[in-house]
Amino acid sequence: MAGRSDIARLITTGLAVSLAAALAAGCGAPADRGGSAVAAEPTLRAATAAQVLEAARAPGTKAALINVWATWCQPCVEEFPDLVKLHRTYAGRGLRLVLVSADFEEQRESVAAFLKRQGASFPSYLKDQKDEDFIDGIDARWSGALPASFIVDRSGAIVDYWEGKKSYAALEAKLAPLLR
Amino acid sequence: MNRFIVSLLALATLAAPLALAQDAPKSIALGASIPSDRVAMKNVDGKMLTIDSVKGAKGTLVIFTCNHCPYVKAWEKRITELGNSFARQGIGMIAINSNDPGRSEEDDFDGMVTRAKDLGLQFPYVVDEGSVVAKAFGASKTPEAFLFDAKGKLVYHGTIDDNVKEPEKVEKRWLKDALTAVAAGQAPAVQETKALGCGIKFKES
Repeated sequence: MAGRSDIARLITTGLAVSLAAALAAGCGAPADRGGSAVAAEPTLRAATAAQVLEAARAPGTKAALINVWATWCQPCVEEFPDLVKLHRTYAGRGLRLVLVSADFEEQRESVAAFLKRQGASFPSYLKDQKDEDFIDGIDARWSGALPASFIVDRSGAIVDYWEGKKSYAALEAKLAPLLR
Repeated sequence: MNRFIVSLLALATLAAPLALAQDAPKSIALGASIPSDRVAMKNVDGKMLTIDSVKGAKGTLVIFTCNHCPYVKAWEKRITELGNSFARQGIGMIAINSNDPGRSEEDDFDGMVTRAKDLGLQFPYVVDEGSVVAKAFGASKTPEAFLFDAKGKLVYHGTIDDNVKEPEKVEKRWLKDALTAVAAGQAPAVQETKALGCGIKFKES
């Protein structure tokens, strides 16, 4: 059974890590180094919220960025090249980018073509669940607006989320500290 | 010892929001009054009106919507039918477009006029200049419904039904059920629901 000092250490360590991550998020990030796990053709798998979270918690992942997007969503499309660039830069350092299209099933071909054009040739996902179950299955705080992004840390916890697009610099500032 | 642990846990709870940064609008809570109901907005007929001016005797439905969003397009016929039909039952209805047309060209005023005509809207469809009303509501996407009772208190917030894509397969008509309840002077059984939608294109500074 944990003693007083053990419990205190656990809690204060957790606090320190959380606070450091929060503070580091606004303090810039290391430069690009390249490297990634890019396959020739994108694979597109139907997925529920549980399967998306499982993908974000795959072994060896230091941090995962879940991004829910759609081909018809203009801000999603605008943000997409930065997401792919982020993957190219940080996949070799433990970043897992989990892209989940909210397009309808009949748009599957358009989604695959878009992913290919964007060079997102790593495994990707297509939402396969009723909206409300999918939204709350990912994170009950999410309103359902697109795009939506969630950061999962190495413990598997969602430590950050936002709705709307972000710049490459903002994405990098949030994720780089978690990849050290 | 117990007090010591409780203090540390309390500290951890207080610190948690610092680590869980999030950029999402917080919508008004159930029971809240209608915000920004005196803000004048331009209707598709060219006249200026406020939410206050369209309030119904039994209740008021405010829907944030737009022209371009596929989710809106999939639901717009059902939204139109609800608005047109419940207007005759004492529910005031207003559709609000809060998108910045600079970010979403299809959502400009001319597009709204065409949309309103094509759909046969019998309720106002107005421009929320600068998205001030959407921000006051904490609305984040289209379509997003806020239903207020006769006293002007929020009694339902959420989506239309449980199947955007296939109207014939809808099992839960959340908004229609809520409207029916409010028109009868009752509280809706389900008061909060969610669906995916297009994020509101707020003007970028």
